[in-house]
Amino acid sequence: MDTTSKKMKWIVGFLIAIYLFAMFFPFLWILITSFKTSGEIYGDGAFRFIPDNPTLQNFITVIVDKGILGAIKTSLIVSFTTTIYIVLVATFAAYAISRFDFKGKNVLLGIILAVSMFPQMIVVGPVYNLFQDLGWTNSYAIILPYSTITLPMAVWILVTHFNQIPLALEESAKMDGATPVQTLFKIVFPLAAPGVFTTAIIVFIAAWNEFLLTITINSNKSYHTVPVAISFLRTQFEILWGEVAAATTIVTIPTLLIVLFFQKQIVSGLTSGGVKE
Amino acid sequence: MKKIGLREFLFLAPVIVLISIFSLVPVIQSFTYTFFDYRLNDQQNAGLYLNERFNYELFDETQLYLTMFLEEDKQQVTDPVLLGKIDTVIAKVEDKAKAFAGKEGVQKITKEEKTELIVLSKETQEVVQQLAEQYDTANEENLPLIAKDIENSIIPANFIGLKGYKQALGDARLGAALVNTTIFTFVSVAFELVLGLALAMIMNKAMRGKGLIRTTSLIPWAIPTAVAALMWSYLYDGSSGIVAHLFQMVGLVDNSRELLLSAGGAMVSTILADVWKTTPYMALLLLAGLQNISKDTYEAADIDGASSIQKFFTITIPLLKPSILVALLFRTLDAFRVFDLIYVLTGGGPGGATETLSIYGYKAMFAQTNFGYGSVIVMIMFVCVAVIATIYVKFLGANLMDKN
Amino acid sequence: MKKWWSIFVTVALVAGIIAGCSGNSGTTTKEGDNGAAVDKEKTAETVTLKFAAQNDNTPATKQLIDEFNKSQDQYKVEWVEMTNDSAQMHDQLLTSLSSGSDEYDILSLDVVWAGEFAGAGYLEPIDARMKEEGISKDDFNSGSMASGNYQGKQFTLPFFPDLGLLYYRKDIVSQEDAAKLDSGKYTYADLGAMAEKYTGQGGTKFGFLYQSKQYEGLTVNVNEFSKSFEDVKGGLEQMYAFTNAAWAPQDLLNFTEGETHTTFEQGNAVFARNWPYQFGRIKGQEDGVKVTVDQVGIAPLPNGGSVGGWLLSINKSSKNVDGAWEFVKFVSGKEGQKTMSTVGGYLPGFNELLEDQEVISSNDMLSYEGFKNALSNTIARPVSPEYSKVSDTIQINAHKYLSTGEGLEEAVKAIEEATKK
Repeated sequence: MDTTSKKMKWIVGFLIAIYLFAMFFPFLWILITSFKTSGEIYGDGAFRFIPDNPTLQNFITVIVDKGILGAIKTSLIVSFTTTIYIVLVATFAAYAISRFDFKGKNVLLGIILAVSMFPQMIVVGPVYNLFQDLGWTNSYAIILPYSTITLPMAVWILVTHFNQIPLALEESAKMDGATPVQTLFKIVFPLAAPGVFTTAIIVFIAAWNEFLLTITINSNKSYHTVPVAISFLRTQFEILWGEVAAATTIVTIPTLLIVLFFQKQIVSGLTSGGVKE
Repeated sequence: MKKIGLREFLFLAPVIVLISIFSLVPVIQSFTYTFFDYRLNDQQNAGLYLNERFNYELFDETQLYLTMFLEEDKQQVTDPVLLGKIDTVIAKVEDKAKAFAGKEGVQKITKEEKTELIVLSKETQEVVQQLAEQYDTANEENLPLIAKDIENSIIPANFIGLKGYKQALGDARLGAALVNTTIFTFVSVAFELVLGLALAMIMNKAMRGKGLIRTTSLIPWAIPTAVAALMWSYLYDGSSGIVAHLFQMVGLVDNSRELLLSAGGAMVSTILADVWKTTPYMALLLLAGLQNISKDTYEAADIDGASSIQKFFTITIPLLKPSILVALLFRTLDAFRVFDLIYVLTGGGPGGATETLSIYGYKAMFAQTNFGYGSVIVMIMFVCVAVIATIYVKFLGANLMDKN
Repeated sequence: MKKWWSIFVTVALVAGIIAGCSGNSGTTTKEGDNGAAVDKEKTAETVTLKFAAQNDNTPATKQLIDEFNKSQDQYKVEWVEMTNDSAQMHDQLLTSLSSGSDEYDILSLDVVWAGEFAGAGYLEPIDARMKEEGISKDDFNSGSMASGNYQGKQFTLPFFPDLGLLYYRKDIVSQEDAAKLDSGKYTYADLGAMAEKYTGQGGTKFGFLYQSKQYEGLTVNVNEFSKSFEDVKGGLEQMYAFTNAAWAPQDLLNFTEGETHTTFEQGNAVFARNWPYQFGRIKGQEDGVKVTVDQVGIAPLPNGGSVGGWLLSINKSSKNVDGAWEFVKFVSGKEGQKTMSTVGGYLPGFNELLEDQEVISSNDMLSYEGFKNALSNTIARPVSPEYSKVSDTIQINAHKYLSTGEGLEEAVKAIEEATKK
């Protein structure tokens, strides 16, 4: 019994290791590529693990000439604001859907789900027209249309999580004369922390990934986000792989830190889970 | 159930407003487009016209050109009859333009005006033809085209009702795109679910190297899709791509170029890239669900002497069902609309083998500027996704809205 | 708790304002299509014009704009740098122009877009202005001018022309063969035979490289192989034979210009079809380039090279069409084209400059015999408002046949039908 379970552990550990390597390898390769000269990116040098003439030129170019740090700043501003306002708005809606009884609730949930079934490309034209009329192109107002890619998902995740929280505590809060808003933020919100943080991180990444709306509406370079800035690392006829690799390496670090931070919050919900029962 | 009150409304208002402006309005607009032959690259179809219109702007432009070119070519004309004809045409067209002065853009037109314009157009075309036959002039090639623009200024109604949908039913390319999308969606989501669930359970367990597992497994998700796709296109490259090279070395493919250049290879490659990219996302969604399952439940099962496998099927899966549903639902919706990844990686190639509905729709709308038919594709896509979503909710969703 | 309420109310308020605004605009769009006239603050003197053009990795565009801005004080041109991903830029411009926006006053367009945008009525025709200024069409690169002529009206002037060229290794190819290539009097079959003969010499691995990934470049190459779609079947068969030739790289079907120039520059191929920019890379000995200028010859392609490059045009919805015209006139004119050519190494679109000593001395290629012959033997891609659709059909059908070897007849039929008009 003992030996078989030990064996199992080894097998599981081995599988995990393989999986992690598969997950990590593409990024590792990009990291290696970012230190290569363009001569080594193609042809004979392409498969070398350690570059013959390692260079920092790619990093220097993307930071100094191509302003990738500026793009990271824009991306951080845009993604964080989007996360905050979307989570807030979605929390209110999800709480109402989860806790209040009213007609048309399922219709509303259905519509919210349905709009997320349309591809994003149909949104670009109308939003461009609207923003042109309002003079909102080339501004941070871009976070408003981001709702179309993030809000449905946020509402749905939060509703399922709110639904799983026992009503008992709220009932007693209500007896003590708390308003629904108080109940929401004092009791439900903390209890649903794993769900809230999951929503936040998903919204954050969705905003971080967005490409089509930003490039169309914010054509001014100072409002370019990371994906847009990286798409500029090319000439008319070729993609500058060295620079793309360097930029990818640089932008992955802050995102990874943020994702890890959020994810820790999700798991640490476990410790505070004692309150739940 | 009661009617929606002020309190509920205030809670819901922001969501309703945002969804209406940034999602519903575009959706309704697209839906309207499907009933029109709406193509931007043709001035006669570059709007939604329920009835006949006239393009005053184009007519003005045509008048200027006609006068300019005819005046130029007139210098060579010696035949007094033809000269007279040319002058009449110039004068007539000019008169019309004067009569239209003050009218801009595209507006309605009366039947009489239309008949008059058609007569004028015929007359102009005849004169131009005669000119071209008798003389060898500088604008010989341009004038007939310009003369035709008088007629082109008349814009027929382009309401086509359901014809766009009918066209779609017989469109083989659309059928192929639907098949590609379905294969891509189900294969990639299935892999992501299995791997994601396993990953979530590992993350949820206190074990050695947890930090490392977490960090590493989340990297793919932290890279923007458009960038990840770019990255994979380098890794899959037939001559310099390390992944293609490795696959060839271990014998997964006969030849590294097959990865992106054979129909099957390209599909597998895109699915692989998608699984790589989104498994962490699936894992996170499921992880949050796992967090909601209390430890006591497992402990109680332990006392009953349940094995890990039993616990997995009797506790984890049932209690995780709402989270699985949401994860599955949204992943499927996303995968069905896959765009960035395939657009960058294969562009729909080779020979259309990885063209999905959203790629086809995008090409129809933006590359070919056929917003009418592009919108039809989008609507068909919507119907497919809606059917899938309904099935999910029917089969898995029984307890989705249950309260604890 | 009060704080939460205030946030909530603010959010609702902001959302409400947006809702109100969108209600207005929703009804005015589309039909009239010119959009509401936005009152822009007009500074009394200089008018700012926005020029949408791709990112330029030479300093030419920047210098050109500075020169224009210095040459007069009525207008100030600002460069909106667009992505070098042409398909993306096209879609962006389309979104902007179709909304009747005046976000960009001057547009730089890929030669194949002109027909489409002109057909859609987004561009300002310029014949009258040209006549007024005494500018003749014959002054400019004829291929570029033809690309910008739609339904008898001229909509564009050249920004910089491009054309498909054959690059060959002078140090490998015999003098006799080189002379034959330079004259342009050879066929693709001859080229194949030469590729067969020379591959392996001088450390080369491949014979002839060209672009046949499924993208716009494939249309360009099919255009050349089929002699502007005169012989689609022969062209495709030739391409298929080349794809599977012993001297072809195994992923030739995934080649774009990027793969072509890197492989050629590293000395791995005897022949390559590419645009003039490849010469600039070799001459500049950019990173990774192993061949020298002396080793490289330039010749016309057997059926002539496709016309490429970029055009200048004016957004019809611009509020400063006059200013935009001034800029277009300046850039496409002698002075502007000279800057493009001497600073950026671009091919001048203003014909007179082809004989200009200063231009020739800064642009060696112009003195090559083979290049001169190539210049006089160009073929255009179809000018059509439906160009994207036509090109898409060509790409899909050609790529399907080339990658599988099956369905030649259907591919030929589909391509011939698409290019017939």
